[in-house]
Amino acid sequence: MSGVIERNNVNVRGAGDRAIVFGHGFGCDQNMWRFVAPAFENDFETVTFDQVGAGGSDLAAYDKTKYRSLSGYADDLVEIGRELELEDAIFVGHSVSSMIGVLAAQKAPGMFGKLVLVGPSARYIDDDEYVGGFGAAQIEELLQFLESNHMGWSTQMAPAIMGNPDRPELGEELTNSFCRTDPEIAKAFARVTFTSDNRKDLDGVAVPTLILQCKEDIIASLEVGEFVHRNIPGSRMIVLDATGHCPNLSAPKEVVDAMRTFV
Amino acid sequence: MSVAGLDFDDMIENAPCGYITLRADTRIEHVNRTFLAWTGHDADAMLGKRFSDFLTFPGRIYFETHIAPLLRMQGFFNEFAIDMLTAAGDPLQIIANANERRDPNGNALGIRIALIKATDRRRYETELLSAKDLAVTAEKATQEVLRLENETSRFREQFIAVLGHDLRNPLASISAGARILDRTVQSEQEHRVTAMLQSTVIRMSAMIDNVLDFARGRLGGGITLRRDTRKPLQPELEQVVDELRMGSPGREILADFAIDRPVDCDRTRVGQLLSNLLGNALTHGTSDQPIVVHAETHGGSFELWVANAGQPIPEAAMEKLFEPFFRSEARASRQGLGLGLYIASQIAKAHDGSLTVSSSPKETRFTFTMPSE
Repeated sequence: MSGVIERNNVNVRGAGDRAIVFGHGFGCDQNMWRFVAPAFENDFETVTFDQVGAGGSDLAAYDKTKYRSLSGYADDLVEIGRELELEDAIFVGHSVSSMIGVLAAQKAPGMFGKLVLVGPSARYIDDDEYVGGFGAAQIEELLQFLESNHMGWSTQMAPAIMGNPDRPELGEELTNSFCRTDPEIAKAFARVTFTSDNRKDLDGVAVPTLILQCKEDIIASLEVGEFVHRNIPGSRMIVLDATGHCPNLSAPKEVVDAMRTFV
Repeated sequence: MSVAGLDFDDMIENAPCGYITLRADTRIEHVNRTFLAWTGHDADAMLGKRFSDFLTFPGRIYFETHIAPLLRMQGFFNEFAIDMLTAAGDPLQIIANANERRDPNGNALGIRIALIKATDRRRYETELLSAKDLAVTAEKATQEVLRLENETSRFREQFIAVLGHDLRNPLASISAGARILDRTVQSEQEHRVTAMLQSTVIRMSAMIDNVLDFARGRLGGGITLRRDTRKPLQPELEQVVDELRMGSPGREILADFAIDRPVDCDRTRVGQLLSNLLGNALTHGTSDQPIVVHAETHGGSFELWVANAGQPIPEAAMEKLFEPFFRSEARASRQGLGLGLYIASQIAKAHDGSLTVSSSPKETRFTFTMPSE
């Protein structure tokens, strides 16, 4: 088995007493943070990584059983934290990574002193009174679509080029690689992302938490963000002017400014 | 206006592909006529709406999690497959390219999308996928058959080994018993009985060897040789002759050996070959004429032949003589399984040699020849 650093393609930059760890969500890889993480390099140690199965992670480390639940991903995050000897660090999770952070913070008390959740959802599927934004049938349609259409969604990664994201001369071959993943893993990650239910895990969060919510996000609506906010004791919520599900890419300055008020 | 009556606006509006431009917040700014015609949407119904409002549900998720991020990260995204919705709410399979219009600081100003209908392409992909699934299924089935086959083959090997062992052991007891009896019995008739017992044991034992060799040969493994020139071949052959003499007291077997150099062979196998040929001669030869065994080395060859007098082998039988389970019509009761000559010929073949037969009213002779080195 590869080391944790290789397994998750962990990159540490910047300088500071405190570390900020950035976790990416379903779809792409740590490049999601390319406009945000550098803004903190002067004051913090910044840590970015790829979830196993995404980006430059070790695909051989992908274990169907382990990654059937978000808990497996949270274990990885805790292992990264242990490897880097993190204490009282800040975890910034986008999309599904926000719940991975919620779980990890409880698995390893003391490792993360603050959480920033960007576009979080504790559960995507509606349930009685709870509004997640999606019907169970819709999620099934999504998973079916992934099943039958993975050629359009993702193609096999070209591992040879993955190690050189900073070399523009390889730009031609790099096409779409930030969001490329093994089709089978993409399917499994979509399933665990969109069928997870972490509502019960929210009130166990014992650290200061900031929720960054886009004012218009079809994946994690305002209502969904407010549920997370209500259920994490003492959390703060900032509604961004940004639209879409990826303010870290579409409105990085707004995200950075909002984070600065908190970290 | 150009000669063909086409201008660039016409090209954009009526191009053989759809064009859509989005604002940076992914709301629709322009849609060309081709796309409106494909989908049946009114321009007014689309302008100002989010692009993802016109996607199927999976398409929306894909747009938010892949397309929009990639456009921000690399400025373009080519050849993405997505299903759009027609005015009637039906999915329309699309392949699209998109790129960002950016200001000098890299901020997004808008997005340009070119769309091509991909109904057929999607069908090919589906076919390709099901072909791949079929191949995977077939491969799994093949692997399963192979696994079962290996298992069966292992079982057969074991079965053959166990069978050989279990058949030989009681035979050895009978043989030992017959020897003990032979030392104590007095009368001529009693000696004949013990001799007959020994003879039966020898024939039985040769039969077991042949059956096991046949089974191995047919079911994998083949006849394996342990060649060894360190010990002489002649004593092995003499022992075989002695055993058969002992088993057939009334019969005369003349042996004549002229082996003056080592023969690169498996001695036990050549002994088995001789035993099979002798057994055959004892069965088919005239009982009042001697059987002649001759072995010699000359040049680079080793030759061993067994001759008997008696009825010649019918022409029709000659061809099938070395086939397994071949038995002549006559005197079937005295014959074994019909494997003796087949195994003998297989042993000859394993030694890169040959086993031939000549048969005339005067004598029938089986000749084994092999290179001696």
